[in-house]
Amino acid sequence: MSNKYFLGCVIPGRLPYLEASARKTFEKLGIEISDQAKCSCCPDPTGTGLLDHQSWLVLGARNLCLYEESKSDIISLCSGCTESLKSVKYLLDKDENIKKEINDKLKSIGKKYKGTINVKHFAEILFENIDSIEKKVKKPLKDLRIAGHPGCHYLRPSEIIQWDNPLNPTTLDRLIEAIGADSVDYSLKNDCCGNPVEKSDKDVSYSMLQNKLKSMKENGTDCIACVCPACYQQFEFNQREVNKKFNTDYNFPVFYITELIALAFGLKAEELGLKFHRIKVNELLQKIS
Amino acid sequence: MQTVDFEFRKEIIKEDFSLSYCYQCGTCSSVCPVAFATDGVYNPRKIIEESLLGLKDLLLSEQNPNVWLCSTCQMCVEKCPQNVFLTEIFENLKNKIVQTGESYPDTFKTQAKAILENGLALSPTPPIIRRREELKLPKVETADSKELKKLLNTTNFVEKIHLNGGK
Repeated sequence: MSNKYFLGCVIPGRLPYLEASARKTFEKLGIEISDQAKCSCCPDPTGTGLLDHQSWLVLGARNLCLYEESKSDIISLCSGCTESLKSVKYLLDKDENIKKEINDKLKSIGKKYKGTINVKHFAEILFENIDSIEKKVKKPLKDLRIAGHPGCHYLRPSEIIQWDNPLNPTTLDRLIEAIGADSVDYSLKNDCCGNPVEKSDKDVSYSMLQNKLKSMKENGTDCIACVCPACYQQFEFNQREVNKKFNTDYNFPVFYITELIALAFGLKAEELGLKFHRIKVNELLQKIS
Repeated sequence: MQTVDFEFRKEIIKEDFSLSYCYQCGTCSSVCPVAFATDGVYNPRKIIEESLLGLKDLLLSEQNPNVWLCSTCQMCVEKCPQNVFLTEIFENLKNKIVQTGESYPDTFKTQAKAILENGLALSPTPPIIRRREELKLPKVETADSKELKKLLNTTNFVEKIHLNGGK
Protein backbone atom coordinates (compact mmCIF):
# COMPACT_ATOMS: atom_id res chain seq x y z
CA MET A 1 0.00 0.00 0.00
CA SER A 2 1.38 3.41 -0.98
CA ASN A 3 0.50 6.83 0.45
CA LYS A 4 -1.29 9.66 -1.31
CA TYR A 5 -2.08 13.16 -0.09
CA PHE A 6 -5.60 14.40 0.45
CA LEU A 7 -5.16 18.18 0.36
CA GLY A 8 -8.74 19.31 0.96
CA CYS A 9 -9.99 22.76 -0.08
CA VAL A 10 -8.53 25.30 2.36
CA ILE A 11 -4.83 24.43 2.08
CA PRO A 12 -4.41 24.31 -1.73
CA GLY A 13 -7.01 27.06 -2.23
CA ARG A 14 -5.88 29.57 0.39
CA LEU A 15 -2.79 28.45 2.30
CA PRO A 16 -0.37 26.84 -0.18
CA TYR A 17 2.63 27.61 2.06
CA LEU A 18 1.30 25.12 4.61
CA GLU A 19 1.29 22.47 1.88
CA ALA A 20 4.87 23.40 0.94
CA SER A 21 6.03 22.92 4.53
CA ALA A 22 4.30 19.53 4.79
CA ARG A 23 5.77 18.26 1.53
CA LYS A 24 9.27 19.40 2.51
CA THR A 25 9.02 17.92 6.00
CA PHE A 26 7.94 14.50 4.70
CA GLU A 27 10.66 14.62 2.03
CA LYS A 28 13.30 15.28 4.71
CA LEU A 29 11.95 12.37 6.72
CA GLY A 30 12.21 10.11 3.66
CA ILE A 31 8.47 9.36 3.74
CA GLU A 32 7.08 9.05 0.25
CA ILE A 33 3.60 10.50 -0.32
CA SER A 34 2.40 11.04 -3.89
CA ASP A 35 0.01 13.64 -5.30
CA GLN A 36 -3.67 13.44 -4.61
CA ALA A 37 -6.35 11.75 -6.68
CA LYS A 38 -9.06 13.81 -8.45
CA CYS A 39 -10.91 14.52 -5.22
CA SER A 40 -13.84 16.74 -4.40
CA CYS A 41 -14.35 18.53 -1.08
CA CYS A 42 -14.03 15.84 1.63
CA PRO A 43 -16.96 17.04 2.21
CA ASP A 44 -16.73 19.53 5.07
CA PRO A 45 -17.94 17.90 8.32
CA THR A 46 -19.09 21.34 9.48
CA GLY A 47 -20.82 22.13 6.15
CA THR A 48 -22.39 19.68 3.69
CA GLY A 49 -23.14 17.04 6.34
CA LEU A 50 -25.25 19.53 8.27
CA LEU A 51 -27.41 20.11 5.17
CA ASP A 52 -27.80 16.51 4.03
CA HIS A 53 -26.15 13.55 5.69
CA GLN A 54 -26.71 11.28 2.69
CA SER A 55 -25.02 13.64 0.20
CA TRP A 56 -22.10 13.97 2.60
CA LEU A 57 -21.83 10.17 2.66
CA VAL A 58 -21.82 9.71 -1.13
CA LEU A 59 -19.27 12.47 -1.74
CA GLY A 60 -16.99 11.07 0.95
CA ALA A 61 -17.41 7.53 -0.37
CA ARG A 62 -16.50 8.68 -3.89
CA ASN A 63 -13.25 10.16 -2.54
CA LEU A 64 -12.45 6.91 -0.72
CA CYS A 65 -13.07 4.93 -3.95
CA LEU A 66 -10.44 6.97 -5.82
CA TYR A 67 -7.76 5.94 -3.33
CA GLU A 68 -8.94 2.32 -3.33
CA GLU A 69 -8.54 2.29 -7.12
CA SER A 70 -4.88 3.30 -6.79
CA LYS A 71 -4.27 1.08 -3.73
CA SER A 72 -3.18 4.06 -1.62
CA ASP A 73 -3.85 5.05 1.95
CA ILE A 74 -5.02 8.62 2.49
CA ILE A 75 -2.70 11.08 4.23
CA SER A 76 -4.85 14.11 4.98
CA LEU A 77 -3.38 17.55 5.61
CA CYS A 78 -6.56 18.76 7.33
CA SER A 79 -8.36 17.63 10.49
CA GLY A 80 -11.82 18.32 9.04
CA CYS A 81 -11.10 16.15 5.98
CA THR A 82 -9.65 13.49 8.25
CA GLU A 83 -12.80 13.42 10.36
CA SER A 84 -15.13 13.30 7.36
CA LEU A 85 -13.21 10.55 5.57
CA LYS A 86 -12.67 8.48 8.73
CA SER A 87 -16.36 8.87 9.62
CA VAL A 88 -17.67 7.90 6.18
CA LYS A 89 -15.37 4.88 6.20
CA TYR A 90 -16.51 3.94 9.72
CA LEU A 91 -20.21 4.19 8.86
CA LEU A 92 -19.89 2.22 5.60
CA ASP A 93 -17.67 -0.49 7.13
CA LYS A 94 -19.91 -0.89 10.17
CA ASP A 95 -23.28 -1.20 8.45
CA GLU A 96 -23.84 -3.37 5.37
CA ASN A 97 -27.19 -1.67 4.71
CA ILE A 98 -25.66 1.80 4.53
CA LYS A 99 -22.84 0.45 2.38
CA LYS A 100 -25.33 -1.09 -0.04
CA GLU A 101 -27.44 2.08 -0.18
CA ILE A 102 -24.37 4.22 -0.94
CA ASN A 103 -22.94 1.74 -3.44
CA ASP A 104 -26.26 1.80 -5.33
CA LYS A 105 -25.77 5.55 -5.75
CA LEU A 106 -22.06 5.24 -6.63
CA LYS A 107 -23.07 2.94 -9.50
CA SER A 108 -24.30 6.04 -11.35
CA ILE A 109 -20.65 7.10 -11.80
CA GLY A 110 -19.25 3.58 -12.14
CA LYS A 111 -17.72 3.31 -8.67
CA LYS A 112 -17.98 0.85 -5.81
CA TYR A 113 -16.74 1.24 -2.24
CA LYS A 114 -15.05 -1.86 -0.79
CA GLY A 115 -13.29 -0.73 2.38
CA THR A 116 -9.69 -1.58 1.52
CA ILE A 117 -7.74 1.54 2.54
CA ASN A 118 -6.93 3.54 5.66
CA VAL A 119 -7.25 7.24 6.40
CA LYS A 120 -4.59 9.03 8.43
CA HIS A 121 -4.03 12.57 9.64
CA PHE A 122 -0.56 13.86 8.70
CA ALA A 123 0.32 14.47 12.36
CA GLU A 124 -0.25 10.76 13.05
CA ILE A 125 2.57 10.00 10.59
CA LEU A 126 4.75 12.67 12.17
CA PHE A 127 4.18 11.26 15.64
CA GLU A 128 4.92 7.72 14.46
CA ASN A 129 8.27 9.07 13.22
CA ILE A 130 9.06 11.20 16.25
CA ASP A 131 12.45 9.53 16.85
CA SER A 132 13.50 10.28 13.31
CA ILE A 133 12.32 13.90 13.74
CA GLU A 134 14.43 14.29 16.89
CA LYS A 135 17.50 12.94 15.10
CA LYS A 136 17.12 15.28 12.13
CA VAL A 137 16.85 18.50 14.17
CA LYS A 138 19.71 20.82 13.23
CA LYS A 139 18.43 24.04 14.78
CA PRO A 140 16.46 23.25 17.96
CA LEU A 141 13.80 25.90 18.64
CA LYS A 142 15.23 26.48 22.11
CA ASP A 143 13.50 28.84 24.55
CA LEU A 144 10.50 29.14 22.27
CA ARG A 145 7.19 28.76 24.11
CA ILE A 146 4.72 27.26 21.68
CA ALA A 147 1.01 26.89 22.49
CA GLY A 148 -0.15 23.79 20.64
CA HIS A 149 -3.78 23.84 19.55
CA PRO A 150 -4.80 20.22 18.86
CA GLY A 151 -8.30 21.25 17.73
CA CYS A 152 -11.38 19.08 17.65
CA HIS A 153 -11.53 16.87 14.57
CA TYR A 154 -7.96 15.66 15.05
CA LEU A 155 -9.24 13.91 18.19
CA ARG A 156 -12.99 13.53 18.32
CA PRO A 157 -15.27 11.60 18.08
CA SER A 158 -12.71 9.23 19.61
CA GLU A 159 -14.70 6.12 18.71
CA ILE A 160 -14.09 6.96 15.04
CA ILE A 161 -10.82 8.92 15.09
CA GLN A 162 -8.93 6.35 17.24
CA TRP A 163 -5.98 8.61 17.90
CA ASP A 164 -4.50 10.23 21.03
CA ASN A 165 -6.51 10.96 24.17
CA PRO A 166 -9.66 12.90 23.17
CA LEU A 167 -9.81 14.85 26.43
CA ASN A 168 -6.15 15.10 27.37
CA PRO A 169 -4.16 14.92 24.13
CA THR A 170 -0.36 14.84 24.19
CA THR A 171 0.87 14.01 20.65
CA LEU A 172 1.17 17.64 19.53
CA ASP A 173 3.02 18.56 22.74
CA ARG A 174 5.46 15.71 22.16
CA LEU A 175 6.12 16.93 18.60
CA ILE A 176 6.74 20.48 19.88
CA GLU A 177 9.18 19.11 22.46
CA ALA A 178 10.88 16.92 19.82
CA ILE A 179 12.09 20.05 18.01
CA GLY A 180 13.51 21.53 21.21
CA ALA A 181 10.74 23.99 22.10
CA ASP A 182 8.58 24.25 25.24
CA SER A 183 4.96 23.24 24.88
CA VAL A 184 2.78 25.72 26.79
CA ASP A 185 0.32 24.16 29.20
CA TYR A 186 -2.82 26.32 29.18
CA SER A 187 -6.25 25.73 30.65
CA LEU A 188 -8.33 25.94 27.45
CA LYS A 189 -5.94 23.82 25.37
CA ASN A 190 -8.65 21.33 24.51
CA ASP A 191 -11.33 23.88 23.54
CA CYS A 192 -12.55 24.58 20.02
CA CYS A 193 -11.02 27.67 18.32
CA GLY A 194 -14.48 28.78 17.16
CA ASN A 195 -13.87 28.49 13.40
CA PRO A 196 -16.98 26.47 12.46
CA VAL A 197 -19.25 28.89 14.33
CA GLU A 198 -18.09 31.73 12.06
CA LYS A 199 -20.49 30.34 9.43
CA SER A 200 -23.50 31.15 11.60
CA ASP A 201 -22.40 33.86 14.06
CA LYS A 202 -19.14 35.80 13.80
CA ASP A 203 -19.47 37.42 17.23
CA VAL A 204 -19.75 34.07 19.01
CA SER A 205 -16.87 32.70 16.96
CA TYR A 206 -14.63 35.63 17.95
CA SER A 207 -15.62 35.30 21.62
CA MET A 208 -14.51 31.66 21.52
CA LEU A 209 -11.22 32.69 19.93
CA GLN A 210 -10.71 35.40 22.52
CA ASN A 211 -11.15 32.86 25.32
CA LYS A 212 -8.43 30.69 23.76
CA LEU A 213 -6.03 33.62 23.19
CA LYS A 214 -6.50 34.87 26.75
CA SER A 215 -5.67 31.45 28.13
CA MET A 216 -2.57 31.21 25.91
CA LYS A 217 -1.35 34.66 26.92
CA GLU A 218 -1.83 34.03 30.64
CA ASN A 219 0.51 31.07 30.39
CA GLY A 220 3.31 32.79 28.46
CA THR A 221 3.08 32.04 24.75
CA ASP A 222 5.45 33.12 21.95
CA CYS A 223 3.55 31.56 19.08
CA ILE A 224 0.78 29.07 18.21
CA ALA A 225 1.06 25.69 16.47
CA CYS A 226 -1.87 24.12 14.56
CA VAL A 227 -2.57 20.85 12.77
CA CYS A 228 -5.71 21.97 10.90
CA PRO A 229 -6.11 24.72 8.26
CA ALA A 230 -9.50 25.82 9.62
CA CYS A 231 -8.00 26.40 13.06
CA TYR A 232 -4.95 27.99 11.41
CA GLN A 233 -7.18 30.47 9.58
CA GLN A 234 -9.10 31.30 12.73
CA PHE A 235 -5.91 32.17 14.66
CA GLU A 236 -4.05 33.79 11.75
CA PHE A 237 -6.80 35.96 10.28
CA ASN A 238 -9.13 36.62 13.20
CA GLN A 239 -6.78 37.79 15.97
CA ARG A 240 -7.26 41.18 14.32
CA GLU A 241 -11.05 40.85 14.58
CA VAL A 242 -10.76 39.88 18.26
CA ASN A 243 -8.58 42.94 18.91
CA LYS A 244 -11.18 45.22 17.29
CA LYS A 245 -14.07 43.68 19.19
CA PHE A 246 -12.45 43.34 22.61
CA ASN A 247 -9.92 46.19 22.46
CA THR A 248 -7.02 43.76 22.97
CA ASP A 249 -3.58 43.54 21.36
CA TYR A 250 -3.03 39.87 20.51
CA ASN A 251 -0.41 39.35 17.84
CA PHE A 252 0.80 35.74 18.17
CA PRO A 253 2.49 34.37 15.04
CA VAL A 254 0.67 31.20 13.94
CA PHE A 255 2.40 28.17 12.42
CA TYR A 256 1.54 24.78 11.06
CA ILE A 257 3.47 22.15 13.01
CA THR A 258 5.21 21.17 9.74
CA GLU A 259 6.53 24.74 9.33
CA LEU A 260 8.10 24.57 12.78
CA ILE A 261 9.56 21.11 12.17
CA ALA A 262 10.96 22.25 8.80
CA LEU A 263 12.57 25.28 10.47
CA ALA A 264 14.13 22.99 13.09
CA PHE A 265 15.44 20.81 10.26
CA GLY A 266 17.29 23.88 9.01
CA LEU A 267 15.04 24.86 6.10
CA LYS A 268 14.97 28.56 5.29
CA ALA A 269 11.99 30.89 5.77
CA GLU A 270 12.11 31.71 2.02
CA GLU A 271 11.80 28.06 0.96
CA LEU A 272 8.74 27.71 3.18
CA GLY A 273 7.05 30.89 1.99
CA LEU A 274 6.82 32.28 5.52
CA LYS A 275 6.54 35.78 3.98
CA PHE A 276 2.93 34.89 3.12
CA HIS A 277 1.92 34.84 6.79
CA ARG A 278 -0.56 37.57 7.71
CA ILE A 279 0.92 37.96 11.20
CA LYS A 280 4.58 38.58 10.56
CA VAL A 281 7.04 36.03 11.87
CA ASN A 282 10.40 37.85 11.38
CA GLU A 283 10.85 38.92 14.99
CA LEU A 284 10.19 35.42 16.20
CA LEU A 285 12.60 33.92 13.65
CA GLN A 286 15.35 36.21 14.95
CA LYS A 287 14.74 34.83 18.42
CA ILE A 288 15.49 31.29 17.26
CA SER A 289 18.37 32.02 14.88
CA MET B 1 -47.47 28.23 23.71
CA GLN B 2 -45.47 25.24 22.53
CA THR B 3 -47.23 21.99 21.81
CA VAL B 4 -45.76 18.52 22.03
CA ASP B 5 -45.58 16.77 18.66
CA PHE B 6 -45.61 13.06 19.48
CA GLU B 7 -44.96 11.96 15.90
CA PHE B 8 -41.91 14.22 15.66
CA ARG B 9 -40.67 12.97 19.03
CA LYS B 10 -41.01 9.35 17.91
CA GLU B 11 -39.30 10.11 14.60
CA ILE B 12 -36.17 11.73 16.06
CA ILE B 13 -35.79 9.10 18.80
CA LYS B 14 -36.05 6.39 16.15
CA GLU B 15 -33.40 8.13 14.03
CA ASP B 16 -30.97 8.25 16.96
CA PHE B 17 -32.00 6.08 19.87
CA SER B 18 -29.25 7.48 22.12
CA LEU B 19 -31.50 10.55 22.57
CA SER B 20 -33.71 8.51 24.89
CA TYR B 21 -30.79 7.82 27.26
CA CYS B 22 -30.52 11.48 28.36
CA TYR B 23 -31.36 12.19 32.03
CA GLN B 24 -30.74 15.93 31.76
CA CYS B 25 -27.69 16.13 34.02
CA GLY B 26 -26.29 19.11 32.05
CA THR B 27 -22.73 17.79 31.65
CA CYS B 28 -22.94 18.70 27.95
CA SER B 29 -23.60 22.37 28.67
CA SER B 30 -20.89 22.50 31.34
CA VAL B 31 -18.17 21.44 28.84
CA CYS B 32 -19.54 23.29 25.79
CA PRO B 33 -17.20 26.09 24.61
CA VAL B 34 -20.10 27.80 22.81
CA ALA B 35 -22.21 27.82 25.98
CA PHE B 36 -19.17 29.30 27.78
CA ALA B 37 -18.75 32.02 25.13
CA THR B 38 -22.46 32.94 25.12
CA ASP B 39 -23.05 32.84 28.90
CA GLY B 40 -25.37 29.90 28.45
CA VAL B 41 -27.60 31.43 25.75
CA TYR B 42 -26.55 28.51 23.58
CA ASN B 43 -27.41 25.46 25.67
CA PRO B 44 -27.06 21.90 24.31
CA ARG B 45 -28.94 20.35 27.26
CA LYS B 46 -31.97 22.47 26.39
CA ILE B 47 -31.94 21.36 22.74
CA ILE B 48 -31.94 17.75 23.92
CA GLU B 49 -34.79 18.51 26.36
CA GLU B 50 -36.85 20.09 23.57
CA SER B 51 -36.10 17.05 21.40
CA LEU B 52 -37.22 14.64 24.12
CA LEU B 53 -40.45 16.62 24.43
CA GLY B 54 -40.96 16.80 20.67
CA LEU B 55 -41.17 20.60 20.56
CA LYS B 56 -40.93 20.70 16.79
CA ASP B 57 -41.71 24.39 16.17
CA LEU B 58 -39.25 25.56 18.77
CA LEU B 59 -36.52 23.36 17.31
CA LEU B 60 -37.07 23.78 13.59
CA SER B 61 -38.83 27.14 13.07
CA GLU B 62 -37.86 29.33 16.00
CA GLN B 63 -34.52 27.56 16.40
CA ASN B 64 -34.26 28.48 20.06
CA PRO B 65 -31.58 27.73 21.21
CA ASN B 66 -29.93 28.13 17.83
CA VAL B 67 -28.65 24.66 16.91
CA TRP B 68 -26.48 26.22 14.15
CA LEU B 69 -24.18 27.51 16.89
CA CYS B 70 -22.97 23.98 17.69
CA SER B 71 -19.27 24.00 16.76
CA THR B 72 -19.28 20.19 16.25
CA CYS B 73 -16.31 19.95 18.64
CA GLN B 74 -17.78 16.77 20.16
CA MET B 75 -16.66 17.60 23.73
CA CYS B 76 -20.21 16.91 24.95
CA VAL B 77 -20.26 13.52 23.22
CA GLU B 78 -16.98 12.52 24.88
CA LYS B 79 -18.13 13.66 28.32
CA CYS B 80 -21.76 12.51 28.29
CA PRO B 81 -22.24 9.88 31.03
CA GLN B 82 -25.13 8.35 29.06
CA ASN B 83 -23.40 8.15 25.65
CA VAL B 84 -25.88 10.42 23.95
CA PHE B 85 -24.60 11.32 20.47
CA LEU B 86 -25.46 15.00 20.77
CA THR B 87 -23.51 16.20 17.71
CA GLU B 88 -25.23 13.61 15.51
CA ILE B 89 -28.67 14.47 16.94
CA PHE B 90 -27.97 18.15 16.22
CA GLU B 91 -26.85 17.26 12.69
CA ASN B 92 -30.14 15.46 12.17
CA LEU B 93 -32.08 18.51 13.44
CA LYS B 94 -30.15 20.76 11.04
CA ASN B 95 -30.88 18.37 8.15
CA LYS B 96 -34.58 18.68 9.06
CA ILE B 97 -34.45 22.49 9.28
CA VAL B 98 -32.85 22.62 5.83
CA GLN B 99 -35.06 20.01 4.21
CA THR B 100 -38.38 21.37 5.52
CA GLY B 101 -37.49 24.71 3.91
CA GLU B 102 -36.91 26.65 7.14
CA SER B 103 -34.25 29.34 7.05
CA TYR B 104 -30.59 28.52 7.62
CA PRO B 105 -27.38 30.55 7.35
CA ASP B 106 -26.49 31.66 3.79
CA THR B 107 -22.83 30.66 4.20
CA PHE B 108 -23.90 27.01 3.96
CA LYS B 109 -25.69 27.70 0.66
CA THR B 110 -22.62 29.47 -0.70
CA GLN B 111 -20.50 26.45 0.15
CA ALA B 112 -22.99 24.01 -1.41
CA LYS B 113 -23.05 26.09 -4.63
CA ALA B 114 -19.23 26.13 -4.78
CA ILE B 115 -19.10 22.34 -4.40
CA LEU B 116 -21.69 21.90 -7.15
CA GLU B 117 -19.81 24.22 -9.50
CA ASN B 118 -16.18 23.29 -8.85
CA GLY B 119 -16.20 20.25 -6.61
CA LEU B 120 -14.46 22.27 -3.90
CA ALA B 121 -15.68 24.47 -1.07
CA LEU B 122 -12.87 26.87 -2.01
CA SER B 123 -11.00 26.91 -5.30
CA PRO B 124 -7.52 28.40 -5.79
CA THR B 125 -7.80 32.04 -6.95
CA PRO B 126 -5.33 33.53 -9.51
CA PRO B 127 -3.05 35.05 -6.79
CA ILE B 128 -3.02 31.70 -4.97
CA ILE B 129 -2.17 29.88 -8.21
CA ARG B 130 0.79 32.25 -8.62
CA ARG B 131 1.89 31.55 -5.05
CA ARG B 132 1.65 27.82 -5.72
CA GLU B 133 3.94 28.27 -8.73
CA GLU B 134 6.37 30.36 -6.69
CA LEU B 135 6.45 27.57 -4.07
CA LYS B 136 6.94 24.99 -6.85
CA LEU B 137 3.75 23.16 -5.88
CA PRO B 138 2.00 20.96 -8.45
CA LYS B 139 -1.29 21.94 -10.08
CA VAL B 140 -4.27 20.83 -7.98
CA GLU B 141 -6.14 17.97 -9.61
CA THR B 142 -9.83 18.00 -8.72
CA ALA B 143 -13.03 16.13 -9.43
CA ASP B 144 -15.01 16.52 -12.63
CA SER B 145 -18.02 18.62 -11.64
CA LYS B 146 -20.29 16.83 -14.14
CA GLU B 147 -19.55 13.56 -12.38
CA LEU B 148 -20.30 15.13 -9.00
CA LYS B 149 -23.59 16.60 -10.21
CA LYS B 150 -24.61 13.19 -11.49
CA LEU B 151 -23.78 11.65 -8.13
CA LEU B 152 -25.59 14.36 -6.20
CA ASN B 153 -28.66 13.87 -8.38
CA THR B 154 -29.01 10.42 -6.82
CA THR B 155 -29.54 12.07 -3.42
CA ASN B 156 -31.64 15.01 -4.75
CA PHE B 157 -29.15 17.35 -3.09
CA VAL B 158 -30.21 20.58 -4.84
CA GLU B 159 -33.93 20.09 -4.16
CA LYS B 160 -33.47 18.76 -0.65
CA ILE B 161 -31.48 21.75 0.60
CA HIS B 162 -33.79 24.33 -1.06
CA LEU B 163 -30.78 25.89 -2.72
CA ASN B 164 -32.97 28.32 -4.64
CA GLY B 165 -35.06 29.47 -1.67
CA GLY B 166 -37.19 27.85 1.05
CA LYS B 167 -40.40 28.78 2.83
